[in-house]
Amino acid sequence: MDDAAIKTWSILVIMGPLIGAILAGVFGPTVLKGKTHFVVIAGVALSVFGAIMLFLQVSGSHGDASTTVVLYEWIPSGAPSWFNVEFRVDALTTIMLLVVTFISLLVVIYSRDYMRDHGEPAKGYERFFAYLGLFVFSMVTLVLGGNFLLLYLGWEAVGLCSYLLIGFYYDRPSAAAAAKKAFLVNRIGDFGFGLGIFLIYLTVGSLDYNTVFERISAGVASGEIETSRVTAIALLLFCGAVGKSAQFPLYVWLPDAMEGPSPVSALIHAATMVTAGVYMISRCGAIFVESQTAMTIVASVGAFTALFAATMALVQHDMKRILAYSTISQLGYMFLGLGVFAANAAVFHLYTHAFFKALLFLGAGSVMHSMGNIIDLRKFGGLKRVMPWTYATMLIGCLALSGFPLFAGFWSKDEIIHAAFNKSHFLGWIGLITALMTAFYTFRMFFRAFHGVTKIPDGVHAHESGKWMIAPLVILSLGALFAGYAGVHISGGAFLGIFEPHGALHHFLDPVLTPFSHAPHVEMVAATHWQLYGLMYTSSALAILGIVIAYGMYVDSPMLPKVIAQMFPNAHDVLYNKYYVDEACNAWIVEPLRKSGRLCFAIDKYVIDGIVWIVTAIPRGLALLLRQLQQGSLQGYGASMVIGTAIIMLVVSFLSEP
Amino acid sequence: MRPRSVRHQPASNDGWVDVVQETSLLTILIFLPALGALGILFAPREMARVIALLTCGVTFVLSLWLIPPFLGAGDPSAAMDIFGSAYGDKLHFLQRIPWIQGERFSIEYFVGLDGLNMPLVVLTTFVTLLACVASWNFHTWKINKSSKAYFILFLMLETGMVGVFVSLDFFLFYIFWEMMLLPMYFLIGVWGGPRKEYAAIKFFLFTLAGSVLMLVALVAMFFYSADAVAERPDLALSYWTGEVLTTGTFDIIELSTNQAIQTKFNDGGTMFLGLRFATTMFMFLFVGFAVKLPSFPVHTWLPDAHVEAPTPVSMILAGVLLKMGGYGFLRLCYPIFPAGGYWWSAFLAALGLVSIIYGALCAMAQTDFKRLVAYSSISHMGYVLLGISVMSQTGFQGAMFQMIAHGISSPMCFFLVGVVYERAHHREINRFGGLWLTMPKYGTMATIGFFASLGLPGLCGFIGEIWVLLGVFEARDRFEWAVPVAIMAAAAVILTAGYVLWLIQRVYLGKEKPEHAGFPEATGREMSILVPLAVLCILFGILPKHLLFDYVNGTLNQIVGTMQDVLAMY
Repeated sequence: MDDAAIKTWSILVIMGPLIGAILAGVFGPTVLKGKTHFVVIAGVALSVFGAIMLFLQVSGSHGDASTTVVLYEWIPSGAPSWFNVEFRVDALTTIMLLVVTFISLLVVIYSRDYMRDHGEPAKGYERFFAYLGLFVFSMVTLVLGGNFLLLYLGWEAVGLCSYLLIGFYYDRPSAAAAAKKAFLVNRIGDFGFGLGIFLIYLTVGSLDYNTVFERISAGVASGEIETSRVTAIALLLFCGAVGKSAQFPLYVWLPDAMEGPSPVSALIHAATMVTAGVYMISRCGAIFVESQTAMTIVASVGAFTALFAATMALVQHDMKRILAYSTISQLGYMFLGLGVFAANAAVFHLYTHAFFKALLFLGAGSVMHSMGNIIDLRKFGGLKRVMPWTYATMLIGCLALSGFPLFAGFWSKDEIIHAAFNKSHFLGWIGLITALMTAFYTFRMFFRAFHGVTKIPDGVHAHESGKWMIAPLVILSLGALFAGYAGVHISGGAFLGIFEPHGALHHFLDPVLTPFSHAPHVEMVAATHWQLYGLMYTSSALAILGIVIAYGMYVDSPMLPKVIAQMFPNAHDVLYNKYYVDEACNAWIVEPLRKSGRLCFAIDKYVIDGIVWIVTAIPRGLALLLRQLQQGSLQGYGASMVIGTAIIMLVVSFLSEP
Repeated sequence: MRPRSVRHQPASNDGWVDVVQETSLLTILIFLPALGALGILFAPREMARVIALLTCGVTFVLSLWLIPPFLGAGDPSAAMDIFGSAYGDKLHFLQRIPWIQGERFSIEYFVGLDGLNMPLVVLTTFVTLLACVASWNFHTWKINKSSKAYFILFLMLETGMVGVFVSLDFFLFYIFWEMMLLPMYFLIGVWGGPRKEYAAIKFFLFTLAGSVLMLVALVAMFFYSADAVAERPDLALSYWTGEVLTTGTFDIIELSTNQAIQTKFNDGGTMFLGLRFATTMFMFLFVGFAVKLPSFPVHTWLPDAHVEAPTPVSMILAGVLLKMGGYGFLRLCYPIFPAGGYWWSAFLAALGLVSIIYGALCAMAQTDFKRLVAYSSISHMGYVLLGISVMSQTGFQGAMFQMIAHGISSPMCFFLVGVVYERAHHREINRFGGLWLTMPKYGTMATIGFFASLGLPGLCGFIGEIWVLLGVFEARDRFEWAVPVAIMAAAAVILTAGYVLWLIQRVYLGKEKPEHAGFPEATGREMSILVPLAVLCILFGILPKHLLFDYVNGTLNQIVGTMQDVLAMY
C-alpha cells in the first residue's frame, strides 16, 4: 500500500465532516441558515469518497494486511516515546468506514427534509447539522485511530455527540433526562474500558495496536503474561463495549435515547455508534482469543441480551422503542458471534444490520414526521395507502430484520446462529428462539402501523414524505435487499442449490480477523450436513412462522393480543415495564449516591466546620476570660501587680536553687 | 549588584564557564501591577478600571515574552544550559540582588523562571486579565463602593501572585505569600455577598494557620542549612558560585540541590524537637500548601469564600490561588525533603483520594450553583495531590497538567455562574432551567466549560486526570496501595460526570422558565472572556504536548531524578 496515499485519504475522511461541522456551526446561524445541510452533506460526501479510495488501496494490495500512518505526536509517555495521532488502515477499518460514511451521508440527506416543518427549517436546524458532522468526525476517528488512546478519544467523542443529539430537543425534560442517562451509563462502561487501557499499558508498555497485539500474543505464548491478566484486560475492555453497544446490564440508556430526532436514532443508535463495541472486540481479537473465560462471557452476555431485549420488544407500543430493543437484541447477536470466534460473521451482521436498521428507523421517522411527531402505535394505523413509498421500503426492512430468506439480515444472522451451534447447542437455541421473536415483533409493529383500518390522529395532515427523505429510504432498501450477497457465494452452494456461506466480504476481512480463526481454543463440533444447511431452512421457517403469527394476531383477529395480555397479566406487566430495571437502578444506585452526597455535605457543614469553630473558640474563650481582668479599677491592677511580682519572685527563687 | 558574572559547572562536567545573564523582565512583571495600583490612587475614579485593564493587559503581553526561551526545550542547543547540576537546568530570566544582609545570613531578591513556574506565571497574568475584564461592569454591582480601592487591591493581588511564583528565595517567597493574603481578604470581605465577613475571616484564618507553620519551617531550614554546610564543607559546593558555602541559605535551588544540605535534611538522624527533621518540616510546609490547594480536611474555607466572593475574585481564587498549593509542593516540599515526601506518601495519596471522592459527593448534594463549582474544584485539585504523592515523572507531569487545565476550566465555570447570577440575582440550581434556549451562545460556552471540567477526552481536563491515574498505576511496584487507590480515583469520574450532567440538565436544559425568559444573551464583553477560555480548553486537550508538556517535562523530570538520587541514599 502507498503510505502517502493512505495518509491523504485518511485525512480527507476525517477532515471532511469536521470542516462541514465547523462551517455549519460558525456560519450556519448567520449566513447559511436553511442551506446549512449543504456543507455537511458535502463534507460527508468527501468522507465517503475518501473511504472508497482507502478501500481500493486496501483491496488492491495483497498480503499487506495493515498500514499505520503517523500524523503527529500527542502526549508524552515516559522519556522518548509519544502517543501519536496515527491511523491504522486495514480491511476492517475500510469496511467500517464505508458503512459509517455511507449511512451517514444518507442520513444527512434525509435530515434535510426531516428537520423541517412544512418546508421551513425547524428550530436548531444549523445546530443539528453541526452535531451530525461532529459525530461523523468522531466516529471515523474511533475507527481510524491506530492506538487505544485515539480509540478512547473517539469513543468518548461519539458519546458526547450522542449526548448532544439525544438532548437535541432539550426543552423537553424527558429528552434532557435521557441524554444525561445515556452519558452516565456509558461513563460506567468507560470506567472499565479506561482501566482496561491502563492495564494494557502497564502490561506491555505501549498502546499502539500493532505493538500491543504482538506483545500480548508473544507474552502469552512464552508464559510471560499470565492468562488471568489477559482475561482481566479483555473483560475490562468488554465493559466499555457493554456500555457503548447497550448490552445487559448497561442497555438501559438506549431505549430512552429514542428521545432524539429519528435520523439520530438511525445513524447513532442503530447503524454506527452502538456497533463500536463490536468493532473494538474484532479489532482486539488478539487479546480476546487468549482468554477462554472472556470469550465465554462475551458470548453469554450477547446471547442473553439478544433474548432479553427481544422479550421486551414484544409488548411495546412506541415504534421507535420497539426498534431500539430490536437493536439491542441484534447487537446481542453480534456479541454472540464474537464470543463463539465467528468475528467475520459478527462484522458481516454489523454491516447488513446497518442498512436495514437505518432503513427501519428512517422509515419510522418518516411515519413520525407525517403523524405530527406521534409514534405510538395505538394512535395510528393502516398507513399503507397514505404512505406507499414508506410502506414498501419498510416492508423490505422488516423482512430483512426478521431474517426472511434471501434478505440481508438472513445471511448474517444465520451465520452467527450456525457458529453458535458449533460452539454450544444451548447458545444456538437461544439464537433460534430470538429469531422467532424478532420476526414476530417486527411484523407486529409493521402490521399495526401499515395494515388494517386507516387511523390517523386528530388534526394531523398525513402525507407521504418528500423526495429528500424517500431517496435515502429507497437506497437503503436496496441495501437491505442485496447487501447480504457480499457475504455469500452465489454459485454451486448447498442452500437452495445456489448459495454457500463465506463470500467476498469474509475473504477480504480474513487477514485482519486471523486471531479468531487461528485461536488455540477453538474446538469445532464436527458439523453434519444437516447442521450446515438444515439450519438455514430451520431459521427461514421460524422467520416465516413469526410473521404468520403476527399476521394472525394483528391483521386476522385483532382482539387476540388483548385476550392474551389478560390471560397473563403479570407477564405482560413485567415485560411492558421492562422488568422494572429502571426503577431498581434508581432505588439501589442513584438514590444511595445522592444520599451519601448529602451526608458528605452534612459532615462538611457540621463536623469539620464544627471542629474549626471549636478551635477558633479557644482563643475567643481565653479572651473572654482575660477581659475580666481588665476591669479598669486601679486597686485591682495594683493587687494583680503585687501578686504577679510575688509569683515571679517565687519562681525565680525556686529555679535558682542549686 | 553582586554576581553579574557567575561561575558554575555545566552538565557536561568539562570545566567551569562564565555565564552572564541578568534581566529585569520578571521584576517588571511583578511590580508593574503595583505601579498601576499607585496610578489608580492618583487618578479620578472613572479612570480606575481603565488603568487596571491597561496594566493587566500590558502585564499579560509582557508575560508572553517569557515563553520563547522555553520553545526549543527539547533541543539542548536552544536553551542556555546554566545550571548543570541544579534541576532547573533551564532557569531563565534570573535576577539576583542582595537585599537584607547580615554577618551570617543573606536574604536576596532572587527571581527566576524554569519549566515549573513559567506556565503558572503566564496563567496568572492571563486569568487576571480576564478577571479584570469581568470586573469591567463594576459600577453595576450591588456593592458598588470605591472602585478605586477595588482595583488597587486587585492589582496588588496580581503583584503578590506573580511574586510567589517567580521567587527563588524562600524568604522572598514567604513575603509575597503573605502579601497576597491581604488583598484577597479585603476583596472578599468588602465586595462579597451577604456572609462576606464570615467567609473572609475564615479564608484568612485558614491560610494564616498554614503560614505560621511555614514560617517555623523557614527559620528551621535556615539554621539547619547553616549546620549542614559547617558539618560537611566537602559537600557544600554552591551551584551558584561554585565555591564552598559558609552560611545558611534561603536560596530554594540551593536548598534542594546542595549535597551537604540535602544530606543533613534527609538523614534519618537529623532531629527537630525529637522528631525526624525531614518528615516534620515536610508536614509543616505541606499544611500551608494543603490549605491553599485545598485538600480535605482543610478545605472548608473554599466553598464559603467562593460563594461570597464577587465573580472576578472567584476566577482568580480558583484559577491562580489554588495552584499555589500545588506549586508549593513541587517547588519546596518535594525537592527539599524527598525523604519526608516518601514517608508521608500513603497519607498524602489518601488525602488526595478522599478529596476527589468527597468533593464530588459534596458537589452532588449542592443546590447553590457556585458552591457546586467550588466543591468540584476540591475534587479536581485532589488529583493534583494524588499525582504528586507517588513521586514519579508521570505523576508530577499529570499533576502539573491538571493544575493548568483546572486553571483554565475553573475560571470559566465560575464566570459562567457569574453571568447567570448577574441576570437572575440568585444561584438556586433548581430554580433555573432551559437557559440554553434563552441564551444559546452562552449555553454553548457553558457546555464546553463544564465538559472540560468533567474530563471529556479532547478537552483539557482529561489529560491531567488520565496522566495522574497512569502515574499512580505505574507506582505499583513501590507502593502496594497504588492500584486500589488508582481504581477508586478512576471510579470518581463517574461521580464527576454525574454531578456535572445533572447540573447541565437542571440549569441549561429543560423547559424555559418564565422568570428567566427575558434574560439577554451573553454580551460581547462576556463572550470575550468565555471564548478564549473555551478555545484553550479545546487546544490543551488536543495539543497537550506542544502547549505544556514540552515546557515543563524537562524541569519536572529533573526534580524527580534529583529526588530519587536522594531517596536512593536513604
